[in-house]
Amino acid sequence: MAKQRTEVADIDRTLYDITDSEEGFERLDAGLTPDIVREISERKDEPEWMLDFRLKSLEIYRKMPNPTWGPSIQGLDMDHIVTYVKPNTDQQATWDEVPDDIKNTFERLGIPEAERSYLAGVGAQYDSELVYHNMQDTAAKMGIVYSGIEEALHEPAWEALIRSKFMTLIPPTDHKFAALHGAVWSGGSFVYVPKGVKLDFPLQSYFRLNAKGAGQFEHTLIIVEDDADLHFIEGCSAPKYNVANLHAGAVELFVGKRAHLRYSTIENWSKNMYNLNTKRARVDDEGEIEWISGSFGSHVGYLYPMSVLNGRKSRSSFTGITFAGAGQNLDTGCKVVLNAPDTSATVETKGISKGGGIQTFRSSVVVTPKAEGARVSVSCASLMLDDESRSDTIPAMDVRAKNVDIGHEATIGRIGDDKIFYLMSRGVPEEEARAMIVNGFANPVAKELPLEYAVEMNNLIKLEMEGAIG
Amino acid sequence: MEQLKIKHASAMPAPTWSWLRMNDTEISLPAALARGGDIEIEAPDTLLDTASTFEGALAELQEHLDAKRANATDDRACVRAAQMDQEGAGGRETSDGSLGDLDTPALSRYQKRATLEEVAGDVTRAFETGIGMDARSYLNFAAGETVTIATEAGSTGEATIRVTGDAGTTVAASIDAVAAPDSSLSLTIALDAAPGSSDDASSNQGPAGVIGSELRVFAGAHSHVDVTVYVTADAGFVAVDDSGYVLDEGARVQVRHIVLGGGVTATGMAADLRSDTARIDIDTRYLASGSERRDFNYVVRHRGKRTISNIIANGVLAGSSKKCLRGTIDLVHGCKGSEGTERETVLIADEGVENKTVPTILCDEDDVAGNHGATIGHVRPEQLFYLESRGVSSEDAEALFIRAKLEDAALSAPDERIRAAILRLGNRLIDGFAEELEGDAA
Repeated sequence: MAKQRTEVADIDRTLYDITDSEEGFERLDAGLTPDIVREISERKDEPEWMLDFRLKSLEIYRKMPNPTWGPSIQGLDMDHIVTYVKPNTDQQATWDEVPDDIKNTFERLGIPEAERSYLAGVGAQYDSELVYHNMQDTAAKMGIVYSGIEEALHEPAWEALIRSKFMTLIPPTDHKFAALHGAVWSGGSFVYVPKGVKLDFPLQSYFRLNAKGAGQFEHTLIIVEDDADLHFIEGCSAPKYNVANLHAGAVELFVGKRAHLRYSTIENWSKNMYNLNTKRARVDDEGEIEWISGSFGSHVGYLYPMSVLNGRKSRSSFTGITFAGAGQNLDTGCKVVLNAPDTSATVETKGISKGGGIQTFRSSVVVTPKAEGARVSVSCASLMLDDESRSDTIPAMDVRAKNVDIGHEATIGRIGDDKIFYLMSRGVPEEEARAMIVNGFANPVAKELPLEYAVEMNNLIKLEMEGAIG
Repeated sequence: MEQLKIKHASAMPAPTWSWLRMNDTEISLPAALARGGDIEIEAPDTLLDTASTFEGALAELQEHLDAKRANATDDRACVRAAQMDQEGAGGRETSDGSLGDLDTPALSRYQKRATLEEVAGDVTRAFETGIGMDARSYLNFAAGETVTIATEAGSTGEATIRVTGDAGTTVAASIDAVAAPDSSLSLTIALDAAPGSSDDASSNQGPAGVIGSELRVFAGAHSHVDVTVYVTADAGFVAVDDSGYVLDEGARVQVRHIVLGGGVTATGMAADLRSDTARIDIDTRYLASGSERRDFNYVVRHRGKRTISNIIANGVLAGSSKKCLRGTIDLVHGCKGSEGTERETVLIADEGVENKTVPTILCDEDDVAGNHGATIGHVRPEQLFYLESRGVSSEDAEALFIRAKLEDAALSAPDERIRAAILRLGNRLIDGFAEELEGDAA
C-alpha cells in the first residue's frame, strides 16, 4: 500500500474571492503616462510639490530596470494596469454611510467587528481610496492623529511634517516599484503619536483591492515620537481574477527615542496579484521596531521590511511566516541596517511550501563601522511539504564593525521521521503527530499576532491531515 | 598600469540585491604581464603517463546515468513553467491581459536555469568551476598545456604541483585529475610567490604578478580524492584558484583551501555530486591582513541520492582587509536523503575590516536537510575571560588567533617548502614568528 503523504489543504479563499460591482466607480485608463499622473494629482487637489514629486518619480520609474534576481515579473504589463479606481463613495466616518456592497465586504472580512472589539481606530481602503476612517475619542484626546494621509496633507498643521518625511525612507530611486509608487500613490494612512503617549489598543488599516486589472498604491506614514508606544495592524486582501493585479504600497515608519512600534501584517492577496510592497522603519536611540509579518497570497511576492537602526541601543525584531502554495513564488524576508553603537536585531522566520509553490527567504544584515557592539541573531527555517515545491534561503551579511556578535542559523527540510516516531511512540496517531508538528512550526509567528489575526492565519494555513500508515 | 578586468567572476548561482555587491567579484589583473614563473609537477610517472581524460570520464558517467534514467515525463509545475518560458511564451500575460495558468509559478532566472539543467541531465553541459568561464579562459591561456593526473582502478597516488610566481609575470597550472574507481588520489597545489616587488596588489600601482591554478577533478566510483591548496603568495600578487569536481557513486572528496597570503585572492570551487552516496568535505582556512582581499565562491550541487556535503570555513581578518564568502548548497530535485551543511566562523581582529558572507541553500527536494550557520565577531567573552585570567589582553588574544592560524598551517604543512613559505608569511605579520615556532617545536 502506498504511503499517503501529509496533505495541507489549499487555502479556502471563498471569503476573499467575492467581488463587488464596479457600477458608479471611476476608472482611469490603463497604462502609465504623465497625463494619468497629473489626473490623479488633480483629483486629489494636491499641493504643487506633490505633483512635481510624482512626475519626477515617473521619470525615475521609466529609467530603472526591472529586478533580475527575484521571481519573474514578465506577466506584469503596466499597459494593462489601471493605476487609479475611485469607488462610488467618499471617505466616511461611520459604517452606515458606506455603500452596502463595500460595507458588506468589510463585514465579511470582520473589520467593523474587530473595531468594536479591540481596536482604537480603523481605516478601510477600497481600491484607490479610503472609504472609511474612524478613531475612538479616547485616542483622539491623547493627541493621537490617525487619518487618511491625503486628508492630513490638506491640513496646514501636518503638511510640512508630511512633506519632510514623505518618501525619505523609501526614495523613488530605491527601486523601480518605489518609483512607480511615488508616481501614482493613492490612499493610505497617516499616524502621529505624540511624545510619551502610549496607546493600549491597536490601530488598523485594511486594504481591499476589488477592481480587476488594477493596482493599489497606498502610502502609510507613521511617526511615533519619543517615549511613545503604538501597535499598528495592516491587513490586505483581493478577489482572484485571471489578469494581473498589482500592489505596490509603501510604509514609512519613524520611531523616536525610547519609543516602541509594533507593525503587524497579514498579506493575503489573491493568486493573480503581483505584490511588490516596500516597508521601512528608522529607529532612534533606544527605540524599538517589531515587525510581525504573514505572507500568504499573491502570484509573485517581493516583500522585505527593512529596519534602519540609527540610534544608539535601538532594536529591531522581525517575526515572519510565508506560505507558498500552487502557482505562487513568494520571495520574502527582511533587511536590517545597524548603524549605531550597541544596536541589536533578531530575525525569526518560517517558510512553508507545498503543491509546487516556491518560497524564498532573502535577507540582508548590514553592520556599519559605527555599530560597534552590535548584536544580531538570525534564524530561518523552511518546511517542504512535498517534493514538487521549492524553498530557497539567501541570507547576506555585511559586517564592518569590531566587537560585534553576529549569529545566523538556517534549516531546510521536511517533517522528520524521528519526530513523528517520537510522538507515535507516546500514543499520538500519525496524522495528529504531523498536524502538531506543522502547527508547532508556525506557532512562533501565530503567538505574536492579535488573537483575531492568529485565527485568520490558522484559517489561511488550514491543515487537513489525511495521512495513513503504510 | 593598464588593467585586465574579469567581471562577474565567482558569481553565486542565485543572486541577491545588487546593492550589496556580493553577487560576484571583479578581478583586476595587469594586462601586460608576460607568461613566466615556474610550474613544478612532482608525481610518479604512473600518474602522468595516462590515457584517461576528464572528458572521457564524464562521457562514461553519462552513459551509465542515461542507462539508469527513467523515461517518465516530469510534469511538475516548475518544469512546465520553465519549458513554457523557453518555448518563447516569455511574458505570461497575453494580448488581452490574461495571465493564463495561474498554477504555474513565475520562476526567477536562476530557478528556470536550474530546472532546465536538471531536466536535461547532461553532465558535460552542467560542468562548472567556481570562478566561471572568463577566469577559466584566462587561466587556461596562462597555463598553456593541461596536465592530466590519473590513477588506475584500485591504486593509490600522490602528486604535488607548485606554481611559483615572479614579479611581472603570470603563471598558472591547468590540471585534470581523474581518479579511477576504488582508487585514492592525493593532490597538493602550492601557489606561492616570494616578495619580489613591494607593490601591494590593492595599490594604485596594481599587482606585481599573477599566480593561479585551474583544476578539474573526476572522482570515480568509490574513489577517494584529497586536494589541498596552499596560497602563500606575497601581498604584491594576485592568486586565482579555480576548480570543478564531478563525483561518481560513493566517491569521497576532501578539499582543503589554506589561504594565508596574496594581495588579492579568488578561490572558486564547484562540485557536482552526480551519483548516489557521493560525499564532499570542504575545509577552508584563511587569514587576511593589511589591505588584502579574499574572495571565495563555493557551489555544491547535490544530484545523487543520499549525498553529503560539508563546507566549513574559518578565518581571521585583520587590518583593513576585506573578505567575501559565497557558499551555495543546491539540493537538486531527486537527491533524496541528501544533506548539506555550511558553517562559517570569522574573527574580526581590527576596525576597518569588511566581512561579507552569503550562505545560500537552494532546495528543490523535500526529503533532504540543508543547514547553515555563521558566527561573526571578535573573541568570544568566555574565551576572553579565560585568556584575561591568564594575563592575556584582548588585543593580545586576537593576535594569538592570527598566530594560531599560521602555526596550525605551518605545523600541518605537507613538506618543507610549503612550511618555509608559511614561516616567511608569519615573519611578515609577527616579529620572530619562525624563530619562536622552531623554538617551540624543538
